[in-house]
Amino acid sequence: MRHPEFEAMPREELELLQLERLQSTLTRAYRQVKFYRGQFDRLGLPLDAIRDLKDLARLPFTTREDLSENYPYGLFAVPLRDIVRILSSPGTTEKPLVVGYASQDVKLWLELLARLYTASGVTRDDIVQLVLPPGLANWRRDLQAGAENLGASVIPAATLNFAKELMVMRDYKTSVLVTTPPLARHLLTVMARMELSPGELSVKQALLVAAPLTSEARQEIEAGFQVKIARAYGITEVMGPGLAFTCGADGGLHFSEDHFYPEIIDPESGAPLPPGAPGELVITTLSTVAFPLVRFRSGDLTSVMTEPCSCGRTLTRLSGIQGRVDAIFSVGGIKVHPDQVGLLLTEALQSHPPRYTWRVTTEEGLELLDIELAVEEAFFSDEIKALECLCRQARRHLQDHLGVNARITLKEWEIPCSSD
Amino acid sequence: MLKIRNLHAFYGSVLALSGVTCHVREGEVVALIGANGAGKSTLLNAICGLVRTQGEVKFQGKNVAGLAPEDIVALGISQVPEGRQLFAPMTVAENLELGAYLRFRRGHKKEIAQDLEHAYGLFPRLKERLSQKAGTLSGGEQQMLAIARALMARPRLLLLDEPSLGLAPIVVEDILSTLARLRDEGLTVLLVEQNARAALKIADRAYVLETGRIILSGAAQDLLQDRQVTRAYLGKDYKEFTEGR
Repeated sequence: MRHPEFEAMPREELELLQLERLQSTLTRAYRQVKFYRGQFDRLGLPLDAIRDLKDLARLPFTTREDLSENYPYGLFAVPLRDIVRILSSPGTTEKPLVVGYASQDVKLWLELLARLYTASGVTRDDIVQLVLPPGLANWRRDLQAGAENLGASVIPAATLNFAKELMVMRDYKTSVLVTTPPLARHLLTVMARMELSPGELSVKQALLVAAPLTSEARQEIEAGFQVKIARAYGITEVMGPGLAFTCGADGGLHFSEDHFYPEIIDPESGAPLPPGAPGELVITTLSTVAFPLVRFRSGDLTSVMTEPCSCGRTLTRLSGIQGRVDAIFSVGGIKVHPDQVGLLLTEALQSHPPRYTWRVTTEEGLELLDIELAVEEAFFSDEIKALECLCRQARRHLQDHLGVNARITLKEWEIPCSSD
Repeated sequence: MLKIRNLHAFYGSVLALSGVTCHVREGEVVALIGANGAGKSTLLNAICGLVRTQGEVKFQGKNVAGLAPEDIVALGISQVPEGRQLFAPMTVAENLELGAYLRFRRGHKKEIAQDLEHAYGLFPRLKERLSQKAGTLSGGEQQMLAIARALMARPRLLLLDEPSLGLAPIVVEDILSTLARLRDEGLTVLLVEQNARAALKIADRAYVLETGRIILSGAAQDLLQDRQVTRAYLGKDYKEFTEGR
């Protein structure tokens, strides 16, 4: 354990620590962020009404829409000159979500990443190779910095082709592979093509991030690479990957409760749900200075397990991410909102909103956004070349803006007969 | 060792603390920093039962809120009050003996003699002035005497209110290094200081109080680097502070 004094803290002490950190976070949020002050004042709730962790449920949620409305710096709790990092992530509107870090937040972030790696069994003696797509820029940076902070030898994510990645993996004697579940599966198909056996690799551990892991994929990856699997959960709005992580015992993901307070709610009614019941994960920051978040709705579906873990950590566990409560979907770990797809297609085609259908498909393990676009007069051409060019443009536009692989096929739209 | 939950404190009808939750672990030095009137001394007085409170104060698992001050001292909490509050017409030796009053009544004379020796070891200057009246000591010596007197009660937790107040920097350093030594000997210390930099240098952790509530907490090392703390309490970047906000 990186921080046994916190990771294995007796629950009673941990809850007192959470309460004191929660109260000071709320004090900072109220006194330094207009948005939160408005939220408290509208309810007529004095700060000292939050006397217990359960009282947190009396406060309203913060949503991605709230973050968009306060674009860019409206939710920062310190002056901009104290901010040392400004991160963006795509939101549900055209405006990105902006998160700020003060220098002590960066320090905390590094510690949480080291905690995650340590729990995964990674040490300074390991050679850690990152194979992550450019669309997961935040995960790339976070996991690289975390492994470096731990003192491991790090091979950063490159834009090599996968055969080269595997060559590096074999020749550099990579011991820890950090990637997404779809990319891990894709690497296995490339390995088969190259006739590379897992025995030729030195990988002993795979840290799989960004996308949910089905048990089928898990078995395939474990057997294909002959590795142990660790996982991590995080969202960019709340400090990235350090939020939750698996341990050696591997029954769920330990949530870093000493710095973030988790709640599970019914996504419809907003009511708190008991341990074990699946619902939406809601997160309140307890330690971050620059960007306090109060009851942020993650949109991720999970449940909490409060049974003690055999690894000795007392931090509660998430059962794993079972899906989304909203329309956001994942393409190879990159989160996409369906509205963004429509918006980007309209831009690329320079037309009125086109008619299309989409789904996420898998090809050799890789996930791609498969779009069927209805040919319309507005952009129809007799020339195949012109139509191909159009598809290419649209594909590049999606790649540029979302970082996802897309395939676009044109389809004749059957004009429904009018009923009268 | 000390767990405080949702503590409210009142001076008459004036609310001086409004919902403070904090803790001190055994063997730690914890600093409370904040501006004048933030509630730092009130928090110490509340722990000692000197002001009217609401909320929970647990010391070694026992709720001490509402107990009489002498019962709280008997449990192992001693306070060194702001401004020393020595018995000026009495000698150094008499002041020290008074610090052990509760134990003296119980007949622990042999231990008291040992503790006196320990106090002289910590503050050799006091030994040189045993028969001098406390009121005639220098500021620094008075502070040493006040700490030594509090130690005579054999506290498990020492509460210190503004030990550096009105003292020359070199004397402050002397006193703080004595505190560090006491910590190494296993004493737990909760320290209130306006001299935030000095306090953060010897503390393990700190809480920042602002108008009756804790606004920030963390490792003392981290708070020394915190730019808001720096501006507000460490006197750095004053220009930046006044221009910026």
